Amino acid sequence: MKKKKILLVDDDIDLLEQSKISFESKGYTVATAENVDEGWQIFQKEKPDAVVIDLIMEEHDSGFILSYKIKKDDYGKNIPVYILTSATYLTGYKFGVSTEEEKEWIYCDEIINKPVVTEDLIEKIENYYLKKENFHR
Amino acid sequence: MNEFKANNKIKVLIVDDEKNLGIGIKRLLEKEGYEVQLAVNGTEGIQLGTNEEFDLAIIDLKMPDIDGIIVLEKILKKYPNTICFIATAFASYETAIESTKKGAYGYILKPFLPDELLYQLKKGYEKRFLLMEAERWEKEREERLLEIAFEKTRVLTIINSITDGVLVVNKIGEVVLFNPAALKYLEIEELKIGDQIIEKLHPQISDLIDKLLNNDSFVTKTYSAQVELKPGYDFFIEATSSGVFHPDGSLAGVVVVLKDITNLKKLEFLKSQFVSMVSHELKAPISAVYGYLKLFNDNSVAVSDEQKKNFINRSQLRLDGLIKMVNDLLDISRMEMKSIKREISDIDLRDVINNIIELFQADLKRKNITVDFNSIPDSPFIKADFEEMNRLFTNLISNAIKYNRHNGCITVIINSTEVYLVVEIKDSGIGLKPEEKKKLFHEFFRAKNEFTKDISGTGLGLSIVKRIVDSYSGRIEVGSEFNKGTTFKVYLPFLYKEIQK
Repeated sequence: MKKKKILLVDDDIDLLEQSKISFESKGYTVATAENVDEGWQIFQKEKPDAVVIDLIMEEHDSGFILSYKIKKDDYGKNIPVYILTSATYLTGYKFGVSTEEEKEWIYCDEIINKPVVTEDLIEKIENYYLKKENFHR
Repeated sequence: MNEFKANNKIKVLIVDDEKNLGIGIKRLLEKEGYEVQLAVNGTEGIQLGTNEEFDLAIIDLKMPDIDGIIVLEKILKKYPNTICFIATAFASYETAIESTKKGAYGYILKPFLPDELLYQLKKGYEKRFLLMEAERWEKEREERLLEIAFEKTRVLTIINSITDGVLVVNKIGEVVLFNPAALKYLEIEELKIGDQIIEKLHPQISDLIDKLLNNDSFVTKTYSAQVELKPGYDFFIEATSSGVFHPDGSLAGVVVVLKDITNLKKLEFLKSQFVSMVSHELKAPISAVYGYLKLFNDNSVAVSDEQKKNFINRSQLRLDGLIKMVNDLLDISRMEMKSIKREISDIDLRDVINNIIELFQADLKRKNITVDFNSIPDSPFIKADFEEMNRLFTNLISNAIKYNRHNGCITVIINSTEVYLVVEIKDSGIGLKPEEKKKLFHEFFRAKNEFTKDISGTGLGLSIVKRIVDSYSGRIEVGSEFNKGTTFKVYLPFLYKEIQK
C-alpha cells in the first residue's frame, strides 16, 4: 500500500512538530504549514490524502476559511478535512457539522475537540478511505 | 389680664352720645389698665372702629345720627374679631335677639354697674382671645398645607431630574408616577398618570412587577433583572422592583428603578473576552511542553537523541515565554491597581532612558547595536509615576533591540512641543507590514513573518505601553516600513492632572 500523505496546518510550531513526528511514526508522509496562505499553497502542490487544520490561527476562524477553500476544490472535495479546536472549552460555543445548518456554512468532515490523539485521527482517515473503497466496489 | 396682651393694653372703643357717661366709663376702664377711645356719635364710632382694630367695643343702641346696630355691623364687617357689646337703657328681648343676630357678643344694661361691666368685658376679651387663637391656627394650617404642596413639587422636581428611571404603579397596574428617564429606558413615547402600563413593558420588566403584585402579603423583597434593550451591548438596563406599602403593611403598589448599565456590561464583556484570550495564550505553551513530554515517554514513537535534545530546548523556550507572559499579566493587573494611586513626581526622562540603555548593555553588545540618545530640551522633566515611565520605555527600547538586526542602530530623541514632551525611538529593524501595524497594540498580537519566527514575546508589551500612554492622556504614533525599521513617537502632556478613577 502506498504511504498516505497528510497535511497538518497549525500556527504553533511545536504542536506541528509533535504531530508530524507522531504521524510519521505511524507510517505517514507529512507536509506542514503555519497559516492559511501557506496551507493553501502546500495543499495545491502536495495534493495530500487528508488535511488536519487548527481552527484558531491568525484569525479566530482561519481553520474554517482554509477548509472551505479545500472542500470547494475539485481535488479537495474527495479527501477528508478535519478541523481541530479548543474553542468549545474557551468560548462555550459548540461547533459541529452534524446538522444541515452547520453543513451549510462549515465545509469539513469533522470538527474535533483538542487534545487530539493521533491514533484516533488515523482511524478516522482510514475509515474514510475504507468506506470510499466499499462504495466504489 | 392674660398672656395674650402681655405687653400691649387691651383696646376698647366706646360709642355713646352721652358724653359724660362715656368719659366716666373711660376713666373707670383706664384705671383697670385698658386703653380707651371715645366716640360721641355713630358716625364717629364707625370711623374709629373701622380705622383700627379694637379688642372690644361698647356701642350705645340709640344714638341720634346712626343706630347702634348699624355701627356694630360696620365694625364687624371690617374686623370680625372685635368683640362688641350693645349698651342700652331700654332693654327688650327683641333688641337683644336682633343685636346678637347681627354679631354682638353681649348686651349691657344702662346705667352700668362697674363690676358687672368689668366682668362682661373680661368675658368678652377671653372670647376674643379664643377667636384670635383659632385664627392663628387656621393661618398656620394653611401655611403648612402650602408647605406640603411645595414639598410635593420639590420631590417631583428631584425625581424628574435624576438620571435613573423611576416608575411607580398601583396594585392594579396603573401608572402613579414616572419621570422622563423612565420613558427613555422603557422606550415609551407617551404616558399619562392612570394608564395601564404592565403590558407595554419589556416582558422581563413586567415580570418584576407581577412578582410583587401577585404577592399580597408583606414582602420586603426586591427583584432585579438586567435587560438588553438593544443587542450587541448597545443598550443595557438594570431594572429593580420593590413594593410600596400602606402604613398597615398592605401592598399599595410597586416602584421600579431603571439604571443604564451599558458601560458596565461592555466592560464586563471586555473583561471576560480578555480572560478567555489569556486562557488561550497560557494554554498554548503548556500544551506544547506537554506534547513533548508525551512524545518523550511514548515507546511506540522512535525519537533520535538529537530530536530529544530539541524537545527539551523547545520546552524550555516555551516555558520561558510562559513565565514572561505571567509577569506581563501581573504587570497589567498591578497597573490597573496603580491607576488608582499614582506616585507623581518630577521625573527627568534622560535618567530613565539612560538607566534602561545601561540595563540592556549585554543584549546590545551581543547584537552589536549602537544607541544614539539625544535630548533637545535641557531638562526634560515630566510629572509622572516613575515606575510607569520606566516600564513604558523599557518595553519600547527592549522591542527596538529585539526586532533589530545585527549591527543595527537605535536612535532615541527627546523633543518638546508647547504641550507635550515627545520621545522618539527609532530602530533599524525588521519593520512592520501595514496589516501588522493595525493590530500592533492589540493584546497578544504578535507579528508573524519570516523574521519574527525566532523572536520570543508575549504579545503584551505594546498593549502595556498603550495603556500607560493613554492613562496619561498622551498618545503614541507608529511609523514603519517593512524590512527597514520602526519608529515609535510617544507624546506625554506636561500638565498631567491626576484624575481619581
